[in-house]
Amino acid sequence: MKQTPLVITMQSLCKFYEMGDQIVRALDSINLDFRLNDYTAIMGPSGSGKSTLMNIIGCLDTPTSGIYELNGQNVAEVDDDELARIRNKEIGFVFQTFNLLPRLNCLRNVELPLIYAGVEPEEREQRAAEALVKVGLGDRITHKPSELSGGQIQRVAIARALINKPSIILADEPTGNLDTATSHDIMDIFGALSDAGNTIILITHEEDIATYTRRVIRLRDGKIESDTMQ
Amino acid sequence: MMKQTFRQFRYETTESFKMAFFQIKANKIRSFLTALGVIIGIVAITMMGTAINGIDRGFDKSLAMLGYDVIYVQKSSWSTMGQWWRYRNRPDLKTEYADQLNRIIADNPRSELSIAVPQMSTYQASAKYRERNLEQVFSLGTTNNYLQTASGNLSAGRFFTPGESASSAMVCVIGDDIAVGLFPDEPALGKSIQIKNHNFRIIGIFRKQGKFLGLFSFDNQIIMPLGAFERVYGKNMFITMRVKIKHQEHIEEAKEELLGMMRRIRRIPPGREEDFSINEQKAFKSQLDPIKNGIAIAGIFITGMSLFVGAIGIMNITFVSVKERTKEIGLRKALGARRQTILLQFLIESVMICLIGGVIGLAITLITTFAIEIIVPDFPVQFSPDLVFASLAVSVITGIISGLAPAVTASKLDPADSLRYE
Repeated sequence: MKQTPLVITMQSLCKFYEMGDQIVRALDSINLDFRLNDYTAIMGPSGSGKSTLMNIIGCLDTPTSGIYELNGQNVAEVDDDELARIRNKEIGFVFQTFNLLPRLNCLRNVELPLIYAGVEPEEREQRAAEALVKVGLGDRITHKPSELSGGQIQRVAIARALINKPSIILADEPTGNLDTATSHDIMDIFGALSDAGNTIILITHEEDIATYTRRVIRLRDGKIESDTMQ
Repeated sequence: MMKQTFRQFRYETTESFKMAFFQIKANKIRSFLTALGVIIGIVAITMMGTAINGIDRGFDKSLAMLGYDVIYVQKSSWSTMGQWWRYRNRPDLKTEYADQLNRIIADNPRSELSIAVPQMSTYQASAKYRERNLEQVFSLGTTNNYLQTASGNLSAGRFFTPGESASSAMVCVIGDDIAVGLFPDEPALGKSIQIKNHNFRIIGIFRKQGKFLGLFSFDNQIIMPLGAFERVYGKNMFITMRVKIKHQEHIEEAKEELLGMMRRIRRIPPGREEDFSINEQKAFKSQLDPIKNGIAIAGIFITGMSLFVGAIGIMNITFVSVKERTKEIGLRKALGARRQTILLQFLIESVMICLIGGVIGLAITLITTFAIEIIVPDFPVQFSPDLVFASLAVSVITGIISGLAPAVTASKLDPADSLRYE
């Protein structure tokens, strides 16, 4: 099989927390690679370290030790503002709780990352509208989140994640708050995005959601239990 | 790169303003209550400024009535008013001093003084025309040179002539209030009015001047030749020498010169304190300073207190807002907001609350000022553009001070923790 370029490289990556006088090894010597157009599910019981891993992949947190390279840049060594810039440009977040701003309409929610990227208003609107069309909400751009169903809200969130053409789409339990039918709709969108060449990392604890992906990584006690292609 | 950074800053700021606006709109009552302290503070500061301005303006207007180029020789001093006992035993002035002064002035071409005019006066006069009667009229006797030492123009008729002055003619020039009071429906000029059973013919009427400090009115006076005044009231009335000076900017030299002349006339040996006072309108102004200072201190105190309380309120509510929106902060950071972006957003919010408070406060003061001007026209209030600027500046500063701590807290929140916050 032809190998695509590396997007993420992790070498002996550790994240420790101090809890009272105890040290919790949330991630313990993780070695992982993600390549362009990978479609991966990270699974594991609660406390296995998958949230911590997601935070580090998403540059929301930095590792205690080890190397985390995103597009060849060691993220462990950059300052807060640079992390913000990386999150803005390289990572598209999709959350379990959607996290749209309730007072803004769909278009304004989707264009938010572009504001932080310093894109001009006209271009922002155009790109946000295009992204909403891509997730099938072209007729809902002026609606507010309160006027949409859960599935539609998550699609707005996906549009927001896509808007800055990120290197990775990072979805944390994206179907966790949705019913089964809607979950499958959302997974179809992720499938289509993967087919379009995006690199996607899903965090989930639902086996049937993981079956949509091509690679499944299982974590247990901060260590990789298995890493299988399917 | 610079251009990009600037553009980013501009868009982020615009976004912050929008969000602040949404936030305030969504929490109208809370925002209003929060702004209350600022509103009260701004009302206090602007009211204070308005009052001080008004007093100044009223004073300047009044002092202009007195004339900037006239100094007064009197028995007592204006700058130590209220200490009448110090002057009680001084000998009365004499109207003849004016002639003596004028002779000395005439002998010295380099004198800073121009002319001295005598004046006798009483506040207790009354004037009558048929069944109409005015009490508490200010009556004064003087010479035909009076107008050289006083402001005010005649709206009708003329002032009395040197001949009328010398012959103590029974004529008078009256203020506008007297004309209106005694002759509401007919022209006053040429009519005869009764002053203490003496008939005076009205030969001139002054244009309306307004009140002096809202207390004493130049429109409420009757001016007559000195001799006629003595005939009505006798010789023991309050005497003033009105002395016009040549150059306003040489007033100190003029006062010095006048002091010397009066000592000569009064024959006061060197080293002895003079038994008269030379007054100028500046003395009035210094009388007012304690009142103005009092208002300023009270105003600053009230303003300071309410702004302090207001600032604490805003700080508190901004902390609550930061707490409530922890998740939003986390989200914004995840989407690429930097620390300074979040900091700015919350600062803008608190500044906006303060600014709204400031504008409401200004509006309240403005409306009150207008209302006062309509209801009590003579009450000294004066709004100024400086006050608008000052109060908006105070609002912005209050906003920054009160918003800074919560905004810094918000900017330092950990994005991963904030996103998980429920």
